[in-house]
Amino acid sequence: MWNFAWRNLLTRPLRTVLALTGLSIPILGVLGLFSLSGGLRNLVGDTLSQIQGVMVLRENAPSPVFSSLDESLAKDLWNIPGISAVAPEVWGIAPPIEDSSFITKVAKGILSGSREQRFQSILDAIVVQGQDIDGHTGLKGAIYPRKILPASEGGGRFLNPSDKGKDHVVISTKIANDFPVTENGKERPRRVGDTINVGNNPFTVIGIYNTGSMFLDVVLVMDIEPARKVLNFKPGTVSSIYVEAKDPGQMEQMASAIEAKFPGIDARSMEEFASNFGRILGQLDTFLMMIMSLAVLVGVVGIINTMLMSTTERFAEFGVLRTNGWSKTNVLTLVTTESVYLGLLAGVLGCLLAIAGTTIGNQFVSGGLQLHITPKLLAMGLGLSVVMGTLGGLYPAWRAARLVPMDAIRLGGH
Amino acid sequence: MIEVTDVWKSYRSGDQSVDALRGITCRIAKGRCAFIVGPSGSGKSTLLYLMGALDRPTSGSIHIEGQDLTLMAEAEQDAYRRHKVGFIYQSFNLIGNLSAIDNVLISYIPRGLTAELKLKAADLLTEVGLGDRLNHRPHQMSGGEQQRVAIARALIKDPVLVLADEPTGELDSKTGDEIYRILRKLQVQHQSTLVVVTHDRRFITPDDLVLEIQDGHLLDQDAHQQRDELSRAAHH
Repeated sequence: MWNFAWRNLLTRPLRTVLALTGLSIPILGVLGLFSLSGGLRNLVGDTLSQIQGVMVLRENAPSPVFSSLDESLAKDLWNIPGISAVAPEVWGIAPPIEDSSFITKVAKGILSGSREQRFQSILDAIVVQGQDIDGHTGLKGAIYPRKILPASEGGGRFLNPSDKGKDHVVISTKIANDFPVTENGKERPRRVGDTINVGNNPFTVIGIYNTGSMFLDVVLVMDIEPARKVLNFKPGTVSSIYVEAKDPGQMEQMASAIEAKFPGIDARSMEEFASNFGRILGQLDTFLMMIMSLAVLVGVVGIINTMLMSTTERFAEFGVLRTNGWSKTNVLTLVTTESVYLGLLAGVLGCLLAIAGTTIGNQFVSGGLQLHITPKLLAMGLGLSVVMGTLGGLYPAWRAARLVPMDAIRLGGH
Repeated sequence: MIEVTDVWKSYRSGDQSVDALRGITCRIAKGRCAFIVGPSGSGKSTLLYLMGALDRPTSGSIHIEGQDLTLMAEAEQDAYRRHKVGFIYQSFNLIGNLSAIDNVLISYIPRGLTAELKLKAADLLTEVGLGDRLNHRPHQMSGGEQQRVAIARALIKDPVLVLADEPTGELDSKTGDEIYRILRKLQVQHQSTLVVVTHDRRFITPDDLVLEIQDGHLLDQDAHQQRDELSRAAHH
């Protein structure tokens, strides 16, 4: 029976190939979207795992960029037991860098950049982080100082107390590449010692870092005072305060203690950030499930259409099978098996295309985002295709099986 | 013995009811060869298909070896077609993507093919002169060869009844003669009852029972029955 069903599919190769192509696209789309969602989840997880402390923000502010706190809160936070470091920060979307705003950069990247730049430029928004240098010096888990490139690669140094009040900036390798310097008619990445215009202010690059995460490698790190100037930040205010505990295992308790003591303040551990992001991705997954349902529906309709055409052409064949003792169940099984094979083949093709697509796609994204087709995703794709095949085959199979054998032979033109 | 008793078959055609068969009664003795003849649309094929349990009569009964087909459940009818009746069609009706031997074995595919069955199918194909074409597909064979495969398909189950609907209708006369020769030889060998629907009376021999149908009626039903009794007596 299985062999017979398989041969029936091969009898009409063009139709089978066209149907497979049409059916594999929804599988490809679903797997591609889920791999993107998984890639983002991994990237955020990896990024946040590099940061150990607690971020103190205005209540309900989605990120430091949208938060504003009184600077005096930093002193009060020292009263919370177990705190080892308090580091005020200002954050904001950078003004035009080298006279290139985010919007013009995106447009320029899309119109004239390489394929990688086109994709990447959409994801880039340069952010300024101004650090209270004294506060940050006491941090154990600060990421940027740890990610300064080695001296042999021209990494320079991170901010220290000698940079207070000065227009000095630490930039990422990515920013260095995205804003090159023209020298002797040739472009080269910005280096330590070069200047970079942030708004109307020329800053001297003193260090270059590389975290490998697209969420972190878009930050211009500078002292808090020049940052306030660049971002037009009100004196005496900060965006957020980064806090570390003496015992890294006590971060959650410390965050709870801060929130209890200071109403209107959120103290978010990186786990909480990860959890919030996970919630957003969960919503994305729900959206993807809706798309998947739509894809299944399209697939099922495609299979019904293909199998209906196939069964209508084969009425005489079903009549012959019935006259030779095949039961209705046998005919139903035959046609359903054919459609399950069709679905399964479409699933295999969709999975192969998704693997190829993500492999190629990974060549065009950087910043730590990696699209992976995991075994679980493959299993889901194949499962989905089998479900499509089964559901799509049932109606044509039932239609073929319920034919009266005599009518089937006569309808078949014999 | 096949006993057809007062069989009516009606169809709906639009708003009208059309009687394809109108009270057919006949008997065909076991091992006989019967020809159903008559003009197109007279109900010949309908009677043949009803004997094969491909449909149910509107009224009346059809007994094959004492079993009433009209009272059989669907599964019993499936089993009857699988084990007791072989069909041969005008258009051969082989499955295009199966080899000759797989076409012969088509009844057994759902339950699995055994080596014994495959050997039997190969022997039958050899008997009909296709021993060297076991693995050929229908499109690789001539019409006569395809019909021989169909004969092997009908006979592999050692049926009590072989039903043939215009088996030479799409063949030239020489090939038709050959098909009848094979069919009759194997019918005798397998001791099956053969019922043939045909327009072509040249294959009918004096020993054969002839059932002439017109407008759903069996013509001269009593006379046919008497002739059959006499013929049967002579046959034995």
